[in-house]
Formats: sequence, C-alpha cells, structure tokens
Amino acid sequence: MLEILDEPFQAMVSHAESTYPRECCGVMLGYQRDGRKVVTAAVPLNNSFAGEQNARYEINPADLLAADTEARERKLDLIGIFHSHPDCGAYFSSTDLENSCPWYSFVVLSIQGGRFHHANSFLPDLDQTRADQEELLLPENIGSRLAT
Amino acid sequence: MSKILIPTALRQFTAQLDQVPVSGATVGEALGDLTTQFPDLKKNLFTDQGRLRSFVNVYVNDEDIRYLDKEATKLEGSETLSIVPSIAGGSTTVAAGPLALSNDEIARYSRHLILPEVGMEGQLKLKAAKVALIGAGGLGAPVGLYLAAAGIGRIGLVDFDVVDASNLQRQVIHGTRDIGRKKLDSAADRMLDINPHLQVDKFDSGLTRENALGILGDYDLVIDGTDNFPTRYLVNDACVLLGKPNVYGSIFRFEGQATVFAYEDGPCYRCLYPEPPPPGLVPSCAEGGVLGILPGLIGVVQATEAVKIVLGAGETLKGRLLLYDALHMRFRELKLRRDPNCPVCGDRPTIRELIDYQEFCGLRPPVQATAAASPAITPREVKAKLDRGDRFMLIDVREPHEFQICRIPGGQLIPLGELPKRLAELDPNSEFVAYCKMGGRSQKAVDLLIQNGFRKVRNMTGGILAWSDQVDSSVPKY
Repeated sequence: MLEILDEPFQAMVSHAESTYPRECCGVMLGYQRDGRKVVTAAVPLNNSFAGEQNARYEINPADLLAADTEARERKLDLIGIFHSHPDCGAYFSSTDLENSCPWYSFVVLSIQGGRFHHANSFLPDLDQTRADQEELLLPENIGSRLAT
Repeated sequence: MSKILIPTALRQFTAQLDQVPVSGATVGEALGDLTTQFPDLKKNLFTDQGRLRSFVNVYVNDEDIRYLDKEATKLEGSETLSIVPSIAGGSTTVAAGPLALSNDEIARYSRHLILPEVGMEGQLKLKAAKVALIGAGGLGAPVGLYLAAAGIGRIGLVDFDVVDASNLQRQVIHGTRDIGRKKLDSAADRMLDINPHLQVDKFDSGLTRENALGILGDYDLVIDGTDNFPTRYLVNDACVLLGKPNVYGSIFRFEGQATVFAYEDGPCYRCLYPEPPPPGLVPSCAEGGVLGILPGLIGVVQATEAVKIVLGAGETLKGRLLLYDALHMRFRELKLRRDPNCPVCGDRPTIRELIDYQEFCGLRPPVQATAAASPAITPREVKAKLDRGDRFMLIDVREPHEFQICRIPGGQLIPLGELPKRLAELDPNSEFVAYCKMGGRSQKAVDLLIQNGFRKVRNMTGGILAWSDQVDSSVPKY
C-alpha cells in the first residue's frame, strides 16, 4: 500500500494542474515500513520529452540521479514516480509500462479539464510486461478541499 | 576501489547499504563484483541472458556509459558509479496491464467507446467492475447475457439449479441441449461465448445466511435475480450490511417491477416491504405462471441500471419503483423513500447481522404441526390404491386450464378457490387424496378439509410433477 501525505499530494496535484494540458512528472520521497510506503515529500521534475508533451513524458536520468541524491541527503527513500494523464483516465498505458522500472511505485494523476480528477498507483514487473494496481491512500476529503 | 551508489529501491538487496565498494577494471567487472557480493541484485539489473536490463542506466561520475564505452568503460579505481533507471511514459497508447483494453476489445466495444457517456474511461470502468448475479434463471438470463456483452470484467454467478425444459420459455441464456446441465455451467458457457474477455466466478450453491457476506463482499454491486422471498430478504440485508447497491427485479404473470435498493441514500427492500407476505399467499412463477418475455424486459432494466451505476452515468431507479404491465403495455413509477425506522437501513437498525430467512418468511413452521396437519401420501402409494380399486376420491385442486394440460386418471377437478363452497358435495366420512401441480395448493386443501371435520384426507406429495417422475412419465410436466 502506498500512502501519500497531504503536503506532497497537494504539491503533486498543483504541479500536474499547472502543466496541464501537458503531462508532468516527478518523484515521491518518503519512507517504507512493514510493507507500507509513505510519501512525505514530492519533487516535481522537468518533463524532458522532446516533442509534443500532451501525452508523453520522460525523466532525464541526470534529474533522477539528482533526486536520488537529494533523497539521500534528506534521509528519505525515493519511493516512486508520478506523472499526469491530461483529459484521460489514470490507467497505466503500454507506453507507461514499456518505459517503467520495477523499483518504484508509479502514481498516475488524471487531470480533467485542468482539475485533478482521480489517481491510481501501479507496480510494474521486472520484464515490463504487466503492472499490478497498488492500493493507494490519498489524504481525506481531497475533492472538497481542492474545490475551494 | 570504486564505489557504486545504490538507489533506495535496491537497498533491500544490499543489506540497506547505500553505497558498495567494488573492484574491477571496467564497469562490467565492477557490476559483476557488486552482484557477486549481493546475488539478489542480479535479476534486478540483468536479464536472464546476462544483459543489462533496458531501463538500467549506469553513470560513471556524471557521465552515462552509453556515451562512453558502455560496460567496457575503463575504471581507474576512484570513480563513483550510479545506477539510474530510465523512466518515461505517456497516455497516448492503449492502456496495458489489468486496466487496459486490447485491440480486440477496442474493436468489440467501439460503439461504446464513441459514446461520450462511456468512452475509454467508462469502458475501463466496466472492465474493472465486479458484479454479483444471484440466479441464472428468468431474470439472470438477460442480465448475464447483456452484462457479458457490455464488457463487465468479472461476474460472480450464484445458482444451484439444473436446466429444465420448462425454463426454456424464458431463460434464454440456456438452450435445449443444456437440459439437465447445471444452470451455472450452461450460463457461464454462453456468457464466455459472447465475451471471452469476461471472468465468470461460479458459486454452485444457494445463497445462504452463512455464505452471503463472503460471496457478495468481493463484488461492487449485486443483481437480485431470485424468485423467492427468503433469498430476496437475504440479498437485501446482505447488501445493506456490506454497503453494496442491490439492483432489484421481480416478475409475476404479466407484471414486473424493478428498482435499485441500498444505493447511496436510497431505500432498501425492507423500506418497501417490512414483512414478507404470509407463505403461500403470493404464488411463485412455477405456480402462477409467467409470460416468458416479461423477465427479458425486467432483466434488461436491471442490466441497464447496473451498467449506469458502474459508469456513474445518468439517473438510476434509486427511490423509484418501476412497475410494468405487459398485458396492457403500461409503465408506471412509484416514489420510494428510505424508512428512518427500517430495521436494517434505518437510523437505529435492529438487524446488524444476517438472520434465519426461512423462519422470517414463515417457511419453517414447528415440525409437529406440519406432520399432524398434513398427512401425506406418495404418488406410488396413490397408484397402488388406484390399482387395488380402493374406494377414495382423488381431488385435483388445480385450475381448469392446468387440468387441460394433463391430469391423473380418476382425478375430480375442484379448484382450490372453489373448495370452500363445494364442501357440501363431499362426504366427511369418505377417504380423500388431494393433488395439485407440486403439492402446495393441495396441502392447503387438505388443511381446509381437516378443519371442516374431514377425517381421512391426505396430500399427494410433489403433485402431478412427482407423479410424472415416479409413476407415469407420459404425463407432461409444465
């Protein structure tokens, strides 16, 4: 199970909404305990995909390396990657799967009409042939608070 | 010695070390040393063929080895190596994995996908949906067919019955060649033939107080295709306790009803019918008959409501009881409200767990009373009495149109409804045997006769259907 705390989740949503209608990406930092992963910080990264970004994202490995270094300095684990699907459901597409990595939780944020709609988390396998959905615990009442 | 920085996700394989000193003259040797020290890392970094996995990038200091000499890149012994996955993605292509449509599915559901109210997102919701269908009979047949076709991902089917010739007039999910098969198998075969992408979970049992919560708990919503009151109350109470919508339908002769119970703030079945009718007052379809087409329409209404609930589209029948009269082709609607005093879904519920529904519906009266009130005789014993030429009167208490279908030789027709008026025709000291289609109405006739002072009265168990089974198979079953 992946739990995202309030502050990082707001950061992820506002990053995804501000980059709409382009896809955004970033990393989630936190800690793991007893099979439970808790995200305590989110770090937005630059979408480095060269081309139309409305339906594609790419993380520059140098950025990911820097994020991993930042995690070390903050005594946190790099737990997962997030990206957005503008005007599209939060499913794990075949492009997502083929360019994924089994070491992280992958959170997909559905942004509909510029506003956060829903999110899912996925765990890709080693061979990038399937991704199982992971239980995702978001802060309570996100819908009502985001609306205000 | 060079060192390799270990990404957080891989530290579970390196005894939580965040960096590991390694020896080796090249990157390849250094990685080899790393996986020798920590063998569990190997499958995370290398394929079975020993190649670096496609998502693994290795940096020497801040340079990607892809732009150096790859794994042959030379090391002097003071470098810092980093393992960094390459990550990208995008929503353009069709989703993969459990929440995805294949090209076959896209072709299959194209008429849904171009509906804005369904679309890719809605179709994926249908695929992710888990629906429990109680009963593969009259209502379950159209529900099962259409839900399978619509692309519901998983359907849990609960039924313990066997296909009988008398089912085929309305249970269109079964065919003539299925007679004698389990309805569960016959229905699942047909549904999977319509849509091989479907997963059917088969529950070969009646729904009971013991298994209901366990079975229904796995599903998002429940469709009630049952034909009896105990199961209807059981499904209702289980849905309320589990917080699952109950898509309800019922049929009788030419009339049907449908609504959605226990959904959001709406009412439940008990808000509408707090108490079951007295046993025997409302005949079943087997006793009262049903227009074969009727469950088709009501079942399709149920399937429609189920799909709408999954999609979150439109307006459901929550709080509205749809009444349909096929004979006069009229639809009406009654408003329903949640009853704050409802024992199961009200403000202060008194039913917090499943109860004995047979007893609640009065179908399990004290044993002695039944035995005393309804002396019984089997069809074989009746045949023996007839063959011996015993003096007794065999009363057929069915309706005249049933009498036209088939009868037992020597049976005198006195429909149950006429019996009270015609008691004077009968001699209380004579011996009587009563029969009907299945034994229910004739039991009432026997009780009535006994109450009126008749001494030697018996009920033929199982009715003319049992007679056909046990005595004379040339008598048709209807």
